[in-house]
Amino acid sequence: MISVTALTKRYGPTTAVDGLTFTAPSGAVTGFLGPNGAGKSTTMRMIVGLERPTSGTATVDGRPYAELAAPLRTVGVMLDVRSAHPGRTAFRHLLAQARTHGIPRSRVDEVIALTGLEAVAHRRAGTFSLGMGQRLGIAGALLGDPGTLILDEPVNGLDPDGVLWVRDLVRRLAAEGRTVLLSSHLMHELALCADRVVVIGQGRLLADATVPELVDGTEGGSLEEAYLQLTAGAVQYRGGDVR
Amino acid sequence: MTVTLRRVVASEWTKLSGLRGPAAIVVATVVVSGLLTYAAANASSVDPGFDPIDSLTAGLVLAQVGPLILGVLVGTGEFGSGTYRATFTAVPRRLPVLAAQTLVTAAVALVTALLAVGAAVVALLPPAASRGIALDLTSDGTPQVLVGMVAFLVGLALLGLGVGALLRRPVPSVVAVVAVALVLPIALVLAADAGTDPMAGAAGSTSLQDTVNTVVTLLPSGAGALLATPPGTGGVEGAPDLGPWGGGLVLLAWILVPLAAAAARLRGRDLTGSR
Repeated sequence: MISVTALTKRYGPTTAVDGLTFTAPSGAVTGFLGPNGAGKSTTMRMIVGLERPTSGTATVDGRPYAELAAPLRTVGVMLDVRSAHPGRTAFRHLLAQARTHGIPRSRVDEVIALTGLEAVAHRRAGTFSLGMGQRLGIAGALLGDPGTLILDEPVNGLDPDGVLWVRDLVRRLAAEGRTVLLSSHLMHELALCADRVVVIGQGRLLADATVPELVDGTEGGSLEEAYLQLTAGAVQYRGGDVR
Repeated sequence: MTVTLRRVVASEWTKLSGLRGPAAIVVATVVVSGLLTYAAANASSVDPGFDPIDSLTAGLVLAQVGPLILGVLVGTGEFGSGTYRATFTAVPRRLPVLAAQTLVTAAVALVTALLAVGAAVVALLPPAASRGIALDLTSDGTPQVLVGMVAFLVGLALLGLGVGALLRRPVPSVVAVVAVALVLPIALVLAADAGTDPMAGAAGSTSLQDTVNTVVTLLPSGAGALLATPPGTGGVEGAPDLGPWGGGLVLLAWILVPLAAAAARLRGRDLTGSR
């Protein structure tokens, strides 16, 4: 379970995350929604200790991430497609991560097979397409067989096969009792795979509900409609009307 | 299966040994050291008082660039590519990563330095043989010079690591270390020469010249020169002769200050990429 409590992050005069409180329970896929710049990535980065909160706390299974003795065994993280050195092979990239925890080489081969990267495992990551980079990121998140997964835009750049695969994977992981926090701005994608949705805008919580609860409360009757109504006042970047 | 320093070291070694750049740097450093030393010894071999040992350190001026860049590559590799996310989510305490990078860089630099100094020794053999001189590596402080050369090259790799880990961006880091190690000492000496009236003679040029010589001695290259010079013969005119141990301490300060600053930045701040 991920617990975020009154989490705030300021960069000088800018407030990226503003008193955010929510939980992502175990055994469920929690969708994390919000317009660009809403603070989704910043929140995820604070949960895994890459950034320090200005105030508030974030814990995984009741403990701050930085205090975990074997973080990869507790939390699997995929924050960005470009997380591998372009000159390093996918296999070496995963092996280096595994070695920090004494995770055996056989597990590296397992996650490579699981993510369908066998054919490219010994190619340098710099030659990877966006979709292959996503798979490599997901492979890294699965290395420690963690009880919690934090995935930032995991279907971005994937082909339809890949999207279907991620959808099945996160459903299966949640069914095994794991916690999955998955950000996206693709509403219909989340409608298909999330049990509950946390919506934020300008760093603040706009909604925290199950998908049916959100949809029932809106006129349009779709998650997309609910999302657009929720974030109407919180969008920083929106194109003009098409004439 | 918790995170231990030993495991982080294994991880850093896996990262470093999987890249082409560092391997190329090791080879280039050894080749440059051998070739430059050979060229210098060969050129001097026509002198009447030719002693091949005098050319032993001639290759260092360029060979030092290799370890510097090796260190910068390790120090900036995380942040230039986004690998830092994978690395520091695996090791959220952060500092063990820098410690492991220091150990791995020192080990690779040590092997590089031993090979480069070995190449320099081998490079002296043909010029020495051409004059019928047998190479003697055991007298006149030569053993200390050999050890000093190795220590100098390893030290520069760690200076590169510290600056790279502090600045996090490869180009500014390379510019900074090359400026401090290579350009600054030459520029200072040239500037002092230009600012000194050659007609005033030795007596008139002391104060500015002495200051410049002291500063140059306290730069990494000056410290390295002290390390690789037999005791009692080192030091530049007007600058304090710190001896090999003093030179070693100066170099150590050049390593520890950027590394400590990098550790402070790593520990206290948000981690973001350099791009």
